[in-house]
Amino acid sequence: MKIEMTNIRKSFGSNDVLKDVSLTINGGEIYALLGENGAGKSTLMNILGGIYKPDQGSISVDGKEVKFTSPIESQEAGIAFIHQELNLINDLPIYENMFLGREPKTKSGSLDLEKMIRDTEEIFERMNIDLDPKKEVNELDSSYKQIVEICRAMMANASIIIMDEPTTSLTDTEIERVFDMMQTLKEHNVGLIFISHKLSEVMQVCNRYAVLRDGNLVSEGDVKNVTIADLARYMVGYDVRTEPLARKRDLGEEVLRVEGLTYNHVFKDINFSIREGEVVGFTGLLGDGRSELFQSIFGANDISSGTIYVHGKKVTSNSTTQAIKNGIAYLPRNRKENAIIPDMDILENSSITTWAKFSNKGIINYAHHKKVFQEQRDLLRIKMVDLTDNISKLSGGNQQKVVLAKWLATDPKILVLDNPTQGVDVGAKEDIYDIILKLADENIAVIVLSSEAHEIIRVCDRSLVMYQGRIQGELVEKEMTDHHIMSLATGGELT
Amino acid sequence: MGNEGVVEKRNFFQWFKHKWSNDPLFSIFTALILMIILQTLVLGFDYDSFGSWFQSWSNNWINILRNNAGIAIVALGMTFVIMTGGIDLSVGATLVATGAFAMMLLDVGERGFLGLMGITGTLAIILTLILVPLFGYLLGSLIGLTVTKGMVPPFIATLGAMMVFRSVTQQSMQGYNPRVPTEFLEIASLRIGNLMVMPIIYWLIIAAIMYYVSKRTTFGRQIIAVGSNERAASLSGINVNKVKLRVYALMGLLVSIAAIIQVSRIGSMDIAGSGRGLEMDAIAAAVVGGTSMMGGRGYILGTVYGVLIISVLNNLLNLFGVPPLLSDAFKGMIVIVAVLLQRKGKMF
Repeated sequence: MKIEMTNIRKSFGSNDVLKDVSLTINGGEIYALLGENGAGKSTLMNILGGIYKPDQGSISVDGKEVKFTSPIESQEAGIAFIHQELNLINDLPIYENMFLGREPKTKSGSLDLEKMIRDTEEIFERMNIDLDPKKEVNELDSSYKQIVEICRAMMANASIIIMDEPTTSLTDTEIERVFDMMQTLKEHNVGLIFISHKLSEVMQVCNRYAVLRDGNLVSEGDVKNVTIADLARYMVGYDVRTEPLARKRDLGEEVLRVEGLTYNHVFKDINFSIREGEVVGFTGLLGDGRSELFQSIFGANDISSGTIYVHGKKVTSNSTTQAIKNGIAYLPRNRKENAIIPDMDILENSSITTWAKFSNKGIINYAHHKKVFQEQRDLLRIKMVDLTDNISKLSGGNQQKVVLAKWLATDPKILVLDNPTQGVDVGAKEDIYDIILKLADENIAVIVLSSEAHEIIRVCDRSLVMYQGRIQGELVEKEMTDHHIMSLATGGELT
Repeated sequence: MGNEGVVEKRNFFQWFKHKWSNDPLFSIFTALILMIILQTLVLGFDYDSFGSWFQSWSNNWINILRNNAGIAIVALGMTFVIMTGGIDLSVGATLVATGAFAMMLLDVGERGFLGLMGITGTLAIILTLILVPLFGYLLGSLIGLTVTKGMVPPFIATLGAMMVFRSVTQQSMQGYNPRVPTEFLEIASLRIGNLMVMPIIYWLIIAAIMYYVSKRTTFGRQIIAVGSNERAASLSGINVNKVKLRVYALMGLLVSIAAIIQVSRIGSMDIAGSGRGLEMDAIAAAVVGGTSMMGGRGYILGTVYGVLIISVLNNLLNLFGVPPLLSDAFKGMIVIVAVLLQRKGKMF
């Protein structure tokens, strides 16, 4: 199957999101669709998925022009869209999920469970997947959920599958599993559109790529002819640096020391000490316990034993309110679930942490917060129109900067950033790295939690690598390499 | 700031459409105005002079507002509860519990609490006005603790409390007919000019305070933050349990004020029947006013509109001579229609 999108234009109000984009996707290839947030990728895919109608341009399937007026029509044409938020019902078994909305019935009108199970087994076999169809979906990890959804699409005879950032929430082994699945699909002559921000993955699995920038197609071709640096440059429009950022390091006194910190089996016997003006990375694979560790230090989770010292003084950290008073700030991972208040405007989202501190008899001092935020807005280079606009009007990167602003407003001594560049485009990533170093120069101890080794290498002075709830090793400056980090993160030793 | 500087000429329809899709309270306000116009037309203009027409019109309004002051005060508290993502089914039972408590305190017969302690007259009334809200606050806190520390879902916690409060109140009031001193009745029946407007004044004062709290105070904004994204609120240093506890406590306090108004209007309270369905009326008013049952989104002003819409509807049904048994059917429909109207952008 071959899909051609020709001269697609789309605008929302006065905002031209797609300006004359043409793409061709063939069966049996893995096609990377790249671009920063807001470049137009989602809009283009939503047009292909029948969710939006293009203002101009045409789509043809195997040379025949089609017009999709609903997602169902797009599905019937053989296009499946696997969204980032998976569409599975957690409390039903796999086989029922496979047939949602088109359940086979027996003659008496009841569900034909046997056929459902049999057909599911059959497709798993065809796709080389070792999975029991009777398992409930909530027992599966994210990669298998992804795989179940792909199989469901295959069962509905999809020949082009759009995958929107399928690997964001997966661990490395899970990612491999999904990649294997993608290779199998390719062999079955299915065309895959792979949307991702992770360029190394693109180099690993894709054959062709297209880069969108500001609604234009800026580059297209075979992956084997380009490097990661090329792709990054196409995406942002200028050179992206990957070398460590140099800075003068002027370390002050110890601000945070942790001794023997343990919480059940989540993290065990954690010891470290951090000084003013230091940037320390905590890295490892997903599920290594680093997020939980710092949530406990921040008072959002429990600890079973161990002590925390701030400025040499022992502190109890049993509530987030207390932790903020102790000068600790924690920017959580998964912005949407953990950081954004969707019913509130930008100003309130940026000041929620300090309402109580600056209130007068319980009345919020908006004038103060406005002043504080306006300074931060310049410092963090937040692109926005109006303070009273809803937070959801901002792009991912700018939302993240607002979340950062709310933590800077607390005037922290210790700033913990958990996956700070998640869902943030390349340009905004660089902004965030700059800000981290600037804050360290102002004597704040910055702790960066990330599973992306290059990010740790780029901004941190040293890094602690975690493995299964323990600190596996420490790497200082030049020792920090992809190779070293990976071997510690997988439970190995330095050789 | 923002787009204010852009001068754009709009005709009425464009302005209306813009308001309709951008201001969540606009559709409900429009509906209210239309209903008031209809009500005015139905009342007719068949009077000798403008003065006598106005008197009749405003008397009708004062009756509507006064009769609904209790529901309105409860609905204001319910709005906060719903905004945190919770619900309070116990308000009707709390109403009779606090109302009975007030009557027990004030009873001029042999069993009156305060009377037994030798406290009578104005002092007794002042003490009642302190103790009853305190009792309401306590009952609310009890529910709040069950919801927060006990981690019992609000629906269950308040369903249980509803049964407990009413049943205990009924048992303790069995065969007991307290008589409230006539001075106490002044609280609701004091006339200003020649008008019995005190309950309306209490309502409006409370609404104004609640409006201010929801817009400007830490507590009010924390309510929205908790309802909108509890996890994010907690990770932002907000003590989520404290916010919820205070919301239920405030609910109990407001219900006790409604109870005081009710007891002081007629001098007694029917323990078995009073407050039945009050929770549904309060929830309906909040929902009509745009408050989301999912929490996060809610409007004190919307709830005021909501109470008015439901009361004007009742008044209209009365004027049209619709059988009383059917009035709930209309109330039910207006709740659903109101939510349909508020689904942004679906209408035009």
